[in-house]
Amino acid sequence: MKKDQDLPLKNDIAARFVPKIVILMVYLGTLCFTFTFFLIHSTRIWEEKLTTDLSIEVPLFSEVPSPNLQTQVFDLLKRTPGVANIDIVSQTEMKTLFHSLLGEDTNIEAFPLPTIIDVGLNRNESFDIKGLEFHLKNISATIQIVDHRSWHGQVSNLLFTGISLALLLTFLILFSTLVTTFFATRTSLLIHREVIEVLSLIGATPIYIAKQFQRNAFKQGIIASSIGSLLGLCTFLGITFLFENAGLPFIVSETFIFEAALIFIIAPFITSFFMMISARAAVMKALCS
Amino acid sequence: MSNMIAELLGVGHQYQDGPEVFKGVSFNIEKGSFRFLTGLSGSGKSSLLKVLYLGLKPRWGSVKLFGEDTFKMKPTLVPLLRQKIGVVFQEFNLLDHLTVIDNVSLPLRVRGVDEKRSHKHAGELLNWVGLGDCLKAYPPSLSGGQKQRAAIARAIITRPQLLLADEPTGNVDDEMATKLLCLFEELNKTGTAVLIATHNQRILKKFPYLQLTLKDGTLLQQQLEKKAS
Repeated sequence: MKKDQDLPLKNDIAARFVPKIVILMVYLGTLCFTFTFFLIHSTRIWEEKLTTDLSIEVPLFSEVPSPNLQTQVFDLLKRTPGVANIDIVSQTEMKTLFHSLLGEDTNIEAFPLPTIIDVGLNRNESFDIKGLEFHLKNISATIQIVDHRSWHGQVSNLLFTGISLALLLTFLILFSTLVTTFFATRTSLLIHREVIEVLSLIGATPIYIAKQFQRNAFKQGIIASSIGSLLGLCTFLGITFLFENAGLPFIVSETFIFEAALIFIIAPFITSFFMMISARAAVMKALCS
Repeated sequence: MSNMIAELLGVGHQYQDGPEVFKGVSFNIEKGSFRFLTGLSGSGKSSLLKVLYLGLKPRWGSVKLFGEDTFKMKPTLVPLLRQKIGVVFQEFNLLDHLTVIDNVSLPLRVRGVDEKRSHKHAGELLNWVGLGDCLKAYPPSLSGGQKQRAAIARAIITRPQLLLADEPTGNVDDEMATKLLCLFEELNKTGTAVLIATHNQRILKKFPYLQLTLKDGTLLQQQLEKKAS
């Protein structure tokens, strides 16, 4: 036995199940945390790509000839405060979209395709959609305006909820690991009551006794959480491989890879550190109360 | 600076609703004193020693250790006071999972002495008490007498200011008992106050020190025995 350990904690029945629980918890925790970062990065990339806040649909058949109508709408949009960019969706892109919806065999040429104008708004300026709608209806009653901001907001809220839940789950996993350590330490204190009493009688301070439990918890934590983290890393690599094979990008950015690697590296240290604190708290609470 | 190590005044104790173990016990332990605590089995000697090493809080009276009122002092002071006391327990209280040398060096380690120094010191002491060939043995493999000697070595390794010994000669032969008492005397000469609970009459006759006798829970007499020739 090492001389820095006066208590026979290594063969402790109470602590035998702790490493297994820690392996599982760290495995789940690292995956959950990585998934959270995946969501955060995916959301950020998705939001960056979303430049269209409004779509204006100019029909082909109207009382005003179509090119003229487009020019009027363009002029109106240029004059409207809060409009950042205006883009006409090309007919080729429109045809591709319709082909993907109706099938490759459909003769798109037979359809009167409307002109779609994508409008991006300046987030720092106020924008009056009712006013724009009124002016568009003055140009032609057949012009339609679609506001994408409401569903953007809904999807963003949904993603934010997903991220929050994943974070909450990660912290719950960490918390349950600490609670397990706390109660295992308390059980261990009961098991080694006599040894602790002897140590106390020869002058050992609660801090001295707590250090023994701390060291043990740290050792257990670093070994078990390293295994858990390694298993998590293997699962992460497996998921990445499966996604990439299916043509779905899982590695959404270089920052994500860096952050994921960081999670798998630092998770054992953070877990064992908090396990050490938890063990110390359990001992100090029991011996000083 | 006070010359008193322990001051007991009207100390009494009762375990739950049982009879009083002792009552109205008053005595002092001065620096460098040597005392025997005698009495029949069950007279409360061990309980009184427990009070002195802060293992038992008496129900009545006042106990001052190293000038600190044990009823009023902060709990954080308890380990610090205990570090000034060496105790030889009746049941030895050796830790079975540690080797003899680790057991004996434990009080030094608790005080922050490094392993090398504490082992060196413990080794010397174990050689002196005749356990030089048992350094790496575990307590369950030792005889009662060997355990007792290891327990004594553990109690005195820090050269405590107060040594409390509960029947330290109970499991050893007369020759070893005398040798151990001589060791306590040597320690006493260096300034350690010694209080030994025993009912070994031969020892009491051989060593002419003040005796505190507990009878029916009361400290009856204090007498000085003449040293046997």
